Parts: sequence; C-alpha cells; structure tokens
Amino acid sequence: MATKETTPDKPKMPPINVWAGPVLVGWIVPGGGHFLLKRPGRGALLLVSITLMFLLGLMTRGMMFTPQSGDLLTTVINYGGFIGDLASGALYLVAMMFGYSQPDMAGAVHDYGTKFLVTAGLLNILAMVDAYEIAAERKS
Amino acid sequence: MPKMNLSHFEAAFLFSLFASVVLGIVTKKTDRDRLYYGSYCFVCFLGALFGIGWVMRLGHG
Repeated sequence: MATKETTPDKPKMPPINVWAGPVLVGWIVPGGGHFLLKRPGRGALLLVSITLMFLLGLMTRGMMFTPQSGDLLTTVINYGGFIGDLASGALYLVAMMFGYSQPDMAGAVHDYGTKFLVTAGLLNILAMVDAYEIAAERKS
Repeated sequence: MPKMNLSHFEAAFLFSLFASVVLGIVTKKTDRDRLYYGSYCFVCFLGALFGIGWVMRLGHG
C-alpha cells in the first residue's frame, strides 16, 4: 500500500503590498520598518545600534567601497563592500551627499572604520528581513 | 565630522555590543530569548576577542 509522504508546507509568499513598505522604510531608516509595524522598542534599539556603528565608522575615517572590477577577489570585495555600504540606506546616502570620501589608508583604526561601515549595512539587512517576517506574520 | 581614535579593544568591544544587540533582536521570537541570545553573542564575541588575543600574544613569543 502506497503511503503518502507528508512534507511540511512551505509558507506562502505574502502579497507585496504587505511587506514592501516596512522593508523599504527599514532600508531608508534603520529600524524604521519596526516603527511602521508598531514595534517601537525594537525599532529604537536597531536605530541606535546601526546608526552608532555607522557613525563610528565615519569618525574613524573608514573607507566607503565603490563598485570596481578587476580580478575575482577585487570584484567580490569591492562589489560586496559597496552593497554592504549601500544597505545602510539614508546614512550612506547622506554621507555621500555631504561628500564623504576617504582613501584606503594603512592603519588599524581606519580598517576598523571600514568594517564598521560595512557591518552597519549588513546588520540593517538583517533588520529588514526581520521587518519582512513581522509584516508576513511569521513573527510577532 | 569629528575624528576618533579607538584602541583595538575599544573598537572590538563596541563592534561586539552593537552586533549583539541586532543579532539578539532579529533572531528570536520572545523578549526573554532575545535578551538571552544577545547576551550570549556578546559573551562569545568577548571570549573570541580575549582568546584570539592571547593566541596571538603567545604566538609572537
């Protein structure tokens, strides 16, 4: 007798109008998606953490990546870093608007600054994913 | 924008703190779990900071 295999159903993709707003606002303002979804406590913690990390990156004169091709490693590092920087949303856009430009310099402090800038963006991506899950009612 | 100089320890400590807060918030579903996991991440970051620091110190002789 054939038995029917039971596999857990994949959660359905929610309609775009449900999650696009919080995710977009979450990109522009870190934690903004959480504020929009009425999670102000979590939104405030995300806003403070990501913004402080980005500001520390600026104050330690970290380098902003620009898209640059070359050998495979150069391409991956520069495009990956650029995406990480860009993910900080308004923080990145405002910094570039005010002409922030820092060459890649030797030194531990500048190197930490570069990592702070990229990590702020990567943490913001995590916050955007969290906002998506809350909007899709997969999380409270 | 004012310039700031941080020591290795200060920079790694602040990095750990902010990253732990975000990781705690986004990965867990209850406030208690968030606090627990954020603290756990922070302790792991600091453990790695001191552990790898000592390995490098001893490796240099």
